[in-house]
Amino acid sequence: MNTAVDTDYKPPLSERLEPYMAVIAPLAMIIAIFLFMAVASPDRFYRISNLELILQDAALYMPMAMAMTFVITQRGIDLSVGSVAVLSAIIMAFLVKQYGFSIYVGIPIALTIGALLGLINGLVITRFNVPDLIGTLAMDLVYKGLALLLAKGLVLARFPDILTEMGRGQTPFFIPTPAVIGILTMVAGYYILQRTHFGRYTVAIGSSPESAELTGIGVKRHKVYAYVLCGACAALAGLMLTGKQNAIQATMAPFFNLHVIAAVVVGGTSLFGGRASIIGSFSGVLLLAMMLNALVTLRIEFFWQPVASGFVIISSVALYAWIQKKDRDGAGGWFADLKTSEGQKLVRFSALLIGTLIALLAIGGVFAGDIAPSG
Amino acid sequence: MADTPLVQMRGITKRFGGVTALQNVDLSAYAGEVLAIVGDNGAGKSTLIKVLTGVYQPTEGDIYIDGEKTEFSNHADAAKAGIDAVYQTLALADHLDPAANMFLGNELTKKVFGITVLDNKKMRSETERVLMERLGVRLKSLDAPTDSLSGGQRQAVAIARAVYHEGLRVLVMDEPTAALGPQETARTLKLIKALKAQGLAVILISHSLDDVFEVADRVHVQRRGQCVGVALTAESSTQEVLGMIVGAKEDAA
Repeated sequence: MNTAVDTDYKPPLSERLEPYMAVIAPLAMIIAIFLFMAVASPDRFYRISNLELILQDAALYMPMAMAMTFVITQRGIDLSVGSVAVLSAIIMAFLVKQYGFSIYVGIPIALTIGALLGLINGLVITRFNVPDLIGTLAMDLVYKGLALLLAKGLVLARFPDILTEMGRGQTPFFIPTPAVIGILTMVAGYYILQRTHFGRYTVAIGSSPESAELTGIGVKRHKVYAYVLCGACAALAGLMLTGKQNAIQATMAPFFNLHVIAAVVVGGTSLFGGRASIIGSFSGVLLLAMMLNALVTLRIEFFWQPVASGFVIISSVALYAWIQKKDRDGAGGWFADLKTSEGQKLVRFSALLIGTLIALLAIGGVFAGDIAPSG
Repeated sequence: MADTPLVQMRGITKRFGGVTALQNVDLSAYAGEVLAIVGDNGAGKSTLIKVLTGVYQPTEGDIYIDGEKTEFSNHADAAKAGIDAVYQTLALADHLDPAANMFLGNELTKKVFGITVLDNKKMRSETERVLMERLGVRLKSLDAPTDSLSGGQRQAVAIARAVYHEGLRVLVMDEPTAALGPQETARTLKLIKALKAQGLAVILISHSLDDVFEVADRVHVQRRGQCVGVALTAESSTQEVLGMIVGAKEDAA
C-alpha cells in the first residue's frame, strides 16, 4: 500500500485537479447549461419528457463514443462511423423487409457487418499504411456510396417491435431503453479499458508506439481490434437510429462522425494519444446532447447546431492543451506573444486579409447594379 | 569470479553490405561483474550489444552461454536465454502507471467468472516488491503515470521490468545515465551495484568514464569496429582508457 505519502510536497491546486479535468470540465459545462436553462426556459427544458429526450438522443452516441475513445487513444481516428452505421442498418433492413429474415438474426448480422467494415478500415490503415484520417475518410465515401446504391433513395420503414424498443423504448423506470443500452456499452468500455490486455495496450500504443513495439505488443493487431470495436458499435448505433425513427434511409446520420469525435475530445481523451477517459466520453455525449436540446428549446435556428458543436470542440481542445502546458513555453498567456515581432507580422497579415475583404465588399456595394433573381 | 564466463562472444564480425561494423570482436562477461563497453561514436558498441541481445545476427562468430554455443535468431531467443536490455529510451509508456509498465506485454491475469482479466492489484504489489527487494527503490505513488516520475525512478521501473524475469542473468544497459542529473546518476549507479551484488552480469554502455570507473570491474574498449583492449578498472586510469578510445597508443607507436 502507498503508505509513504510525502507531506512536504504539495503541488498547486491546478496540478492536483488535472487528472480529474476529464470529468470536471464537461460537468462544469453541463451545470452551466442547467443553470442557464433554469433562467432562460425552465418550464420547457425541465420537463421529464424533455430530460428523457436528452437521454434518448445521447444514448445513440454512447456506443460510438465508447469505441471512438479506444481509437483516439491509440492516436487513430475513425471518420467512417456514420456510414458504417447506415450501411449495416440498411443491409439489416433489406434482409428483414425484403428477404424475410428474422429480426433476431438481422440484429447480430448488422453488428457483424459493422465489425467487418471496421476490420476493413483497420486493415487499410495497418496493412497498406494509409494514414487513419485519409483511410477512414475514403472508406466513409465507399460505405456511403454502397448504402446509396443498395437503398437507391428508398426509405425502409416499419420494423419489428424489438428494434423500436432499442431505439425509443421506455423502461419502467425513468431511463429510456436506448439509454440503458448506451450506458451498458459505456460500462463495458470502462472495464475493457481497465481490465483487459486490449485496454492496457491501447493506452500503451497511444502513449508510445515505439515502446509498445519494443515490449513485444502486437501494435498493428490491437489497432485493428480498435477499429473492429468501432465498426460494431457504429452498427449498434445504426440499429438504435433505425429503431428510433422506425425507418432507415441512406442519407441519415450525416453529423455522426464529428459529433462522436467531439464528445470524446470534450471528455478529455487526448487526440495526441495515451490519455483515455470513458467517463469523460460519457459526460461529453451528455453535454453535447444537452447543448443541442437547449438550442432547440430556445427555438434557435437548426443551422446554428454545427456552429455550436464546432465551438465546443475548439474551446475544449484549447482548454486541454492549455492545461497540459503544451503551449506554456514561457510566452505567458494566449495573447502575450502578439507583441513579439513574429506575432506582429501575423497581426499585420490578418489585418491585410480582413481589410481586403472589407475593401472588396465596399467596391461591390458601391458598384452594385440591378438584382437578377437566381430562380 | 567464476572460471567460465557467463556469456562469451568469440570472433564476432558483422557486416552491413560493404560496411564492416564489427570485426573479430571477443567479449566475455562473468556473473557478478559489471563490464563497461566504451568507445567513440561509430565504434560498434550498439551493434555489439544488438548482436548479443539477438536483434542482429552476426556475420561470423559465435556466442557461448556457460561455455555452450548458442544461436539467437531474434530478441525473444536471447531473452529466453537470460539476456535482456534496458534501452536508452527505456521503452516506457508514459501515460501508464509503473505497475502497468513493469508488466507491459507480460501482464498478470486472473479469472473472474471464467473470463481472463488483468490482475491490477497483484501487478501493483509485485511492482512494489520487486522495486523494494531488488532495487531498494520506493516510489511515493504507484498510481501516478510514469511521466510524473524522475529520470532515475523511470530508470528503476525499466530495470525492474527486466529483472522481474527469474531467468535473467545478463542485463545490458545502454547509456543509462546519459539523460540524468548528478543525483539521479548516483542513484542509477547504486542500482547497478545492487544488481551486480545479486549475481547478475551487467553490461554497461557509457560515454561517461567517471561512471564507468565508479561501477565497472572491467572496461572493454571499442575502436573502429574492433576491440582494442580490455582493462581492469582497478589497475587502469581514465587517462589510459581515454587514450585507447581515441587511439593515442597506436598513433604513438
